[in-house]
Amino acid sequence: MNYLSVLLDAKRLSDLKGSPLEGKVTDMFGGALKALVMEVPEELAGKIIDNLPGARLDARFFIEEVPIAFKRALFEKIKTMKSIGTEVIDAVFADLPKIKELAAKESESLPVPDIDISEALALQKK
Amino acid sequence: MLGELHITTPPPHGGHLVDRVIRDPDEGKKMADGCSAVYDIKPTLYKDMPIRNVYREIMSICYGFFSPVEGSMRSEELERVLNERRLSSGWVFPYPMLFDISKEDLKKLGVVPGDRLLLRLKGQPFAVLDIEEIYNIDPLDVTTRTFGTVEKNPEVVVVPFDEKHPGYTIYKYFNTEVLAGKYTIINEPKLKPPFDRFWFPPAKSREEYKRRGWTTVINHQTRNVPHVGHEALMRNAAYIGDTKPCDGIQVNAIIGAKRIGDYPDEAIVESHEMVNLAGYVGPKRHLATMCLWDMRYGNPIESLLHGIIRQNMGCTHHMFGRDHAALGPYYDMYAAQTLWEKGIPSFGFPKPPYAVEKGLYMRPQNMAEFWYCPHCAEVTYSESCTHKGEFQRFSGSFIRSLLAEGIFPPSVIMRREVYQIVVKWWKQFGYPFNNKKYLTEREKELEVDLPKMEVPKFK
Repeated sequence: MNYLSVLLDAKRLSDLKGSPLEGKVTDMFGGALKALVMEVPEELAGKIIDNLPGARLDARFFIEEVPIAFKRALFEKIKTMKSIGTEVIDAVFADLPKIKELAAKESESLPVPDIDISEALALQKK
Repeated sequence: MLGELHITTPPPHGGHLVDRVIRDPDEGKKMADGCSAVYDIKPTLYKDMPIRNVYREIMSICYGFFSPVEGSMRSEELERVLNERRLSSGWVFPYPMLFDISKEDLKKLGVVPGDRLLLRLKGQPFAVLDIEEIYNIDPLDVTTRTFGTVEKNPEVVVVPFDEKHPGYTIYKYFNTEVLAGKYTIINEPKLKPPFDRFWFPPAKSREEYKRRGWTTVINHQTRNVPHVGHEALMRNAAYIGDTKPCDGIQVNAIIGAKRIGDYPDEAIVESHEMVNLAGYVGPKRHLATMCLWDMRYGNPIESLLHGIIRQNMGCTHHMFGRDHAALGPYYDMYAAQTLWEKGIPSFGFPKPPYAVEKGLYMRPQNMAEFWYCPHCAEVTYSESCTHKGEFQRFSGSFIRSLLAEGIFPPSVIMRREVYQIVVKWWKQFGYPFNNKKYLTEREKELEVDLPKMEVPKFK
C-alpha cells in the first residue's frame, strides 16, 4: 500500500471542524504537524506518479513532490466529499488537464517564503 | 591482550595521491602550444538537458579524488572495470572513466594515438589529454554492465534499469568514440563562491586533518540539505572511532548535474556548513567539503567510489545508510550495506571491499535509520526504538513538499538556520529547486572560472 498525506494548516483544520474527517487528522512528528493520510493502492499510485511531473514515491511509501495544485485540489475535494477514500483522487483526476496547466506555472507562481533569514546570514559572515 | 587500538590515517587508494595539475601558467601554456588539436568540452545531454560534464571527472581525477585513476581508461582497463571492478593495476575501482566524443568530432579533430589534445572549457584552455588509444564502445553495453542486471547480479539488482535512472541515462547517452589517456590540468580553474570554501582536494584535506589533529574521520555522504535525522545519523555514527569517538565528521557533498526538484548544490553545501556554524555539531568536529561528480546513483557501485574518494581525502570511516546513493527500485535497498558487510560476488567482491586484495582501507559504519519518536520524545535509532505506529520517518521528499506548500518546517524536522539557507537560495534560483532554467544556466556557468590563457595556435 502507498500513501498520500495532505498537510493541514490552521485554515484547513478549521475547514474540517465539525466534519467526520476531524477524527481522522493525524499527528506527525509529535504533533508538530497535522495531516490527513490517505491510503493509495499501488495501481492508483502509479497513475499519479505517471501523470504528475516530479511526483515520486519516498522511502516511507508516501507519494511526495506532487504539484501544489494537485494537493490544493485534493484538499478541496476531501472537504466537499468528506472522505479520504480513493474516490477523492478519482474526482481530482477528472480535472487533470487543469491541474497540469496550473502545475506548469508553479515555477512562476510559488512565492518565496517571507521569512527573516538574517540569523543564518549573520552566522555566515562571522 | 588487544594490542594497538588506535587507528591511523589510511594511505591513498593505490598507494599515492594523483596530482596532475600544472600550477605554473608558463608551463601550462607551453603544454597547450604542443597540442595537435583543440576540443571544446561539451556536456552529455538527455532530452536537451545537461546530465553530465566530463570536466567534473577531469577535475576529480587530476586533483586526486579518484586516485589512482589518471585519465580516460584504455579498452583493456574498461573491460576489467566492467568485469571485475578492478583497474589494470588490480586496484579496486567501480566505474568506467571515459573521454567520449562523437564520430563527427573525431573526424574533425583528426587525432591519432601519440597526439596531445587541448581541452577547452568555457572558451579557455583547461587540460590536455595525451592520447594513448582510440576505440569505440557500445554505450548500451557499457551501461548495462556498469549497473548490472537482474540475471547477472541477482544478489542486489531487483528491477531492470531504464531511462528513469539518471546514471543509466548518463552512460547510455555517451558518444561512441573514446579517447584514452592521461589528463593534465594546465590552467588551474578557480572554484566560484560558495564552492571555493568547500574545495578540499585530497592533499589539502589530509593537511587540514593533520592541522586539526584528526586521525579518525568519519565521512557523511550527501546530496541533500540536512534534516534533523541526518544530523542524528552523523553525530551517532561518529561514536565509532577507536578508543574515543571519531575526531572529525567530514561531510562530502557530490556536486554536479542533478534532477529537477533536487535542492541546488549551493544550498546543499551551505546548509551543511550551517549545521556547524549554528553549533549543532561544532566546527571543531565538523567540516563540509565537496567533490565534483555527476552522480550515477549506483548504490553499491557508487558506495565503492565514495569509499575511494573519502579514503583519498583521509577518512578512516564511512557511513552507509539504507538506499545509499540510490534512486528508484532498481537495487535492493540494502545493496550498499551488503557490499560492505559481506561483499557482492557477482560484482567482483567475494568479500567486502576492505577485505580484498588492493581494496580499501575504509571502515564501513552501516547504519539503519534515525526517526522521530514522540514516545521517546527524541530522534532515535530505528534498531533501538520499538514504538511501532508512533515513530515518524524522515523523508527528504516530504520535507521538499512541506517547503513547497509554504509550511515552515518544525524544528524537530529541520533546524531553522538550515531552512533559512534553503530560502536564501530559493530567493536566488526560484522554484522548483533545480528548475530547468537553473540547470541550463548552471551548465553554462559551471562551478569554476578559468583564467585567461592565450594560445595563438588555437585562436
